[in-house]
Amino acid sequence: MVPIQIENLFFTYPSRNDPTLNGINVDISAGDFVLLTGPTGCGKTTLLRTINGLIPHSSAGTLSGSVTVDNQNVTTQPISRTCKQVGFLFQNPEYQLFCTTIEDEIAFGLENIGVSADTISDRITLALEQVGLKGSENRLITELSSGEKQRVALASILSMSPKVLLLDEPTSHLDPKATHSILGIVEYLNTELGVTVVFATHSVKEVEHLCNRVCLMQKGQISLDLPRSSAFQDTKPFLSLGVEIPVSNSQKENGDTDKARSTTLGNQLLNLKDICYRYPESKKDAVKRMNLHISEGEIIAIMGANGSGKTTLLNLMGGLLQPTRVPTEGEVSIVGRDSKKLKLKHLAGTVGIVFQNPDLLLQAATVKDEIAFGPKNLRITKKDVQNTVEDAIDSFLLTELADDAPHSLSRGQRQRTALAAASSLKPKILLLDEPTSGQDLQNLHRLMDELFQGGQQEKRTLVFATHHQELAEKYADRILLLKDGEMIFDGKPATAFSDKTLLRDASLAF
Amino acid sequence: MVSTMPGLNAITKIFIMMLCGCLVILLDSPLSLFTCFLFSLSLIAVSSPTLKQIRLLLLFLLFTTWGLLYSQAIFYNEFPRTILFTLVPSNFPVLGELTGGISVYREGIFHGVVQSLRFNTTLVIGCYIIWTTQSRELLVALMKLRIPGTLAFMVTTALRFIPVIVEETAAVIRSQRLRGFRYIRLNIFASINGIINSFRPILAGIIRQATHLGESVESRGFSTESTSERTQIKASKMRSMDYCIVTVFCLCLFAIIGLKLIYFCYANGIYYASWLRHAYTFTREIL
Repeated sequence: MVPIQIENLFFTYPSRNDPTLNGINVDISAGDFVLLTGPTGCGKTTLLRTINGLIPHSSAGTLSGSVTVDNQNVTTQPISRTCKQVGFLFQNPEYQLFCTTIEDEIAFGLENIGVSADTISDRITLALEQVGLKGSENRLITELSSGEKQRVALASILSMSPKVLLLDEPTSHLDPKATHSILGIVEYLNTELGVTVVFATHSVKEVEHLCNRVCLMQKGQISLDLPRSSAFQDTKPFLSLGVEIPVSNSQKENGDTDKARSTTLGNQLLNLKDICYRYPESKKDAVKRMNLHISEGEIIAIMGANGSGKTTLLNLMGGLLQPTRVPTEGEVSIVGRDSKKLKLKHLAGTVGIVFQNPDLLLQAATVKDEIAFGPKNLRITKKDVQNTVEDAIDSFLLTELADDAPHSLSRGQRQRTALAAASSLKPKILLLDEPTSGQDLQNLHRLMDELFQGGQQEKRTLVFATHHQELAEKYADRILLLKDGEMIFDGKPATAFSDKTLLRDASLAF
Repeated sequence: MVSTMPGLNAITKIFIMMLCGCLVILLDSPLSLFTCFLFSLSLIAVSSPTLKQIRLLLLFLLFTTWGLLYSQAIFYNEFPRTILFTLVPSNFPVLGELTGGISVYREGIFHGVVQSLRFNTTLVIGCYIIWTTQSRELLVALMKLRIPGTLAFMVTTALRFIPVIVEETAAVIRSQRLRGFRYIRLNIFASINGIINSFRPILAGIIRQATHLGESVESRGFSTESTSERTQIKASKMRSMDYCIVTVFCLCLFAIIGLKLIYFCYANGIYYASWLRHAYTFTREIL
């Protein structure tokens, strides 16, 4: 039996001239676990969307070829029928949950396909058991962590008993512990229940040991389709596309991860003294009694589980949030000035921040205007603005996109634009919240290299929150580990990453 | 507040809003409108709102009441009108001559009170529905009321995204300021341009998120075209309480329409019956 058969599949989005899927031919057998990887924009998500019928039923564009699941042509049958065979887990858990409680969320899909009320209750119980959330039926979705939300999303799909499970970067927003949990569930579904899995990801290392087959995509085509045992024997095809390879190979091919920089620190730029922060309506502190001194030129990685306080700490460092007065009267000093006495506009050129969602920064009509926005506000001369824009476009590889609308770009390109825009003000302190999400390895290292080199030249302090251990190890010269709003480690990366107990405590190991 | 309150069916809530919407249009007297407003507040009260929701509601009410009172008090155009006090006399240089004087009118304030009671009643009931109804219940209820599926889904997701919009707007404003942008500046065109540009990331974000959510629910079998196959784990059937409330509201609405018609015929000399004089008085004084 062949559950998925794709023949001569071409798909072109309405706004594009070139096809995003460019002649895909692939057969996936029952019980296969396919690792689908490739650089950003190669067509992984589009391919998954054609397998569950979102393309062509919910997306405009030109499709040709056929996609059959269990001998049913999904391009012609409605999604409401395909969803009984094919489940789709999306990237961001925040955007796929619709209901208020866990029970309702899982029931939603079953109700849609007309399952009887008694059966629904049984299936909810079973699905929650499968994702390790037994007895959580009445919990509110808003009270769940990102990892729990993704598990609920997975449970809502599992309850519909799909034969095929499609996963589109389902762990990219999760900390290592939550990632481990999701992968464990997917492994169980594949090995114990025989569910066919197609897992699209940039994080090859995380998933490689689970799969039996590896497909590498490039420019809308499957350029390599091999069993796992032989897929990484030749790593060149992966490395040439900037795709991550498994640990044993990466050590051989890419062993040099030492920082090529001498750490000469300058004056203190940021001082956090006994700060606490509690969000309105919250019962606990997001950041607890934290003391921190950061000097000019330091590169710092903030790590910890989802909800450990990384983003809150970055916002406090950037003056976007002010420490709460209770229980301590904390103080954040930015370049020697109390952040409470500073208005945000006065911090322009001193602090730059790129949010986890880069879209919140993009407000101009073109990439060029976006980069020029900050320097123009600082009223520097036209010539200097032009030079700054040209430098940033060049450094962040945006030359071909300079006249494009930022919001029409891919996620990786939008992130690059946001970083270029924040860097164009040449801030003394650059704060990045999860710069790794949605980036392939090549893009990621290119970006970090640029920020790293730029930072060295300008003695810029770089603070980034990340779950990506390798990135922190390679670029940071100091690591802050957070747990439940408290700092449990502040020191050298080598010390942190050699202490397994500490890493487990920070949910970075399991 | 949303999930735990065993309350009215979502269809009943939508009916209440529609019927109250009709009632506040039909009613003219501040007393009857105030009664409607109190009723809407009682709905909120019984649904045990959080402190944050109460604060938000008070803020909404304050702004709408102030806006309507202020605008009606000054720009009231009907006659007769009684000047309570004058802000800018008609002989005041330039501004007075241009505007013919700016005064606060008693009838304008009265009209503002009536309008704000109308507006606030529907506003409060809208908040009650949003805060006490799950997205999926609201979606199913709208579709059962034959609202086109696409529109029903749009309404439901729009309501779901309100907190996201608030959060993202704050983030966009903060990031703009951190890039040196000043929203208030001498060059008004630059200010307006900046404000318009701020909407771009918010709008793009909402469209993107709504698209993802739409795809997620479609991938789980939701279709905007048909609800015939759909089952419900907690069958949100109309209970006797729901029928009672809808019936009472419908009766009230029909009674008020009837009384208004009778009064209209009397006031315009079309029909008069002496046995209806209490109805005329009630309509004139109370409604």
